[in-house]
Amino acid sequence: MYNYVEDGDSQTTAYMADDQEKYEQFMARIEAGEKIEADDWMPNDYRQALIKLISMHGISEIMGALPEKEWVPKAPTLRRKLGIMAKVQDEMGHGQLLLRVTEDLMRPFGRNRENLMKDLLNGDLKFHNVFHMPTKTWADAGMVGWLVDGAAIISQTNMLDASYGPYQRALQRICAEEVFHAQHGESIIMALAEGTKQQRDMLQESLNRWWPSLLMFFGPASAATTGSSKQDIMIKYRIRKSTNEELRQAFLSKYMPRVFSLGLTVPDETCHYDEEKEEWIYQQPDWEEFKKIIRNQGPRSKERLRLREIAYENNRWVRRALAAQPVG
Amino acid sequence: MGTNETNFYQEYEVFSKRSAKAPVQHQFSLLAPNEEMALIMAQENFMRREDVLDVWVVKKSHIRAMTSEERQNWTKRLDNKDYRTTKGYGYLRKKWREKEQGMLDEKEILSWKEVKKS
Repeated sequence: MYNYVEDGDSQTTAYMADDQEKYEQFMARIEAGEKIEADDWMPNDYRQALIKLISMHGISEIMGALPEKEWVPKAPTLRRKLGIMAKVQDEMGHGQLLLRVTEDLMRPFGRNRENLMKDLLNGDLKFHNVFHMPTKTWADAGMVGWLVDGAAIISQTNMLDASYGPYQRALQRICAEEVFHAQHGESIIMALAEGTKQQRDMLQESLNRWWPSLLMFFGPASAATTGSSKQDIMIKYRIRKSTNEELRQAFLSKYMPRVFSLGLTVPDETCHYDEEKEEWIYQQPDWEEFKKIIRNQGPRSKERLRLREIAYENNRWVRRALAAQPVG
Repeated sequence: MGTNETNFYQEYEVFSKRSAKAPVQHQFSLLAPNEEMALIMAQENFMRREDVLDVWVVKKSHIRAMTSEERQNWTKRLDNKDYRTTKGYGYLRKKWREKEQGMLDEKEILSWKEVKKS
């Protein structure tokens, strides 16, 4: 049942009454903290919001591994190489978990992983704004682990009690591993921050470049900025607890003191905590640029999609070999 | 995927066992073309850090799980079962106290692994 509303005959009323009752039971269950499973009845807009959220999350994990894997051969020491390899592997693992969750949600529409990959390549499935950006120096590898993953941790821990069981369970696993990612990033940052002037300059230059992306990470404060926002429905259905702006404020509160304690600055002189208003004041990033980036018109969008496509094509022979019937 | 790769992936549920004393626990599910790959993917996906003694992969279509409706009914059934649990016999603690005896409760009884050697 996906809230089909048919016209004309008497059955319409019966369907709607039936769905209304199911809807009320559904709301009562999630409000009581129960978890919804893949084969439970759910309102169509709940299913659609989950598919959009989790497919984007899953594919972003995979697309996020691409800028990081560029740094595996260039990592400065063997230990750093092992660390970043483990992180790249985790991100791909997270992608696997999340795509699996999405597939079960899409099953009633006859859609599968192959459709998701095609959607990604033709631009219908978006991936996170931060992964459209270049990683130019080793400091960027640290910045991705520390602040990009830090921002991801803020938004993902906000969903640890999500009403949808499979996603909630995937997130427990993902967030536990993200703690390692964050510390891996902190370790790179700490070494650079306590290093030579050249290293500190490289770190500052990296933060300056990542700053707008970090502010954009949580999305615009309201639908007025970009024309659409799923945050209200996500809160109503207890998928997440906080608004985009609340999450951005939480990120600034957690990370800005650490940024300043390392002697770093941000490229926004107005950025400070207003004690009276009890909130962080900052200049809005360019939301027009954000819209362009997530439409795959960012600095590295095309290259990353191409990389994904090449990986898919290069591994075709493996799929073919495994799909073949055993001989004899 | 080309036509010969259609239906390439199957869904597998993954279970693992952390130690000899631990029960087998459901981990998550994954897509793989066959059992052997499912086992490899299970290790890659879910056991990158954890120690495991055993891993099971089961084709999802081979599992008869409860339906949504069955689950709802099952959970509603589990009330008023005091007579089956020690909770229904808690008053004994007070009775034994009156007779200056301790209660032989679950904690006490399960601690009787060793008895005095003669």
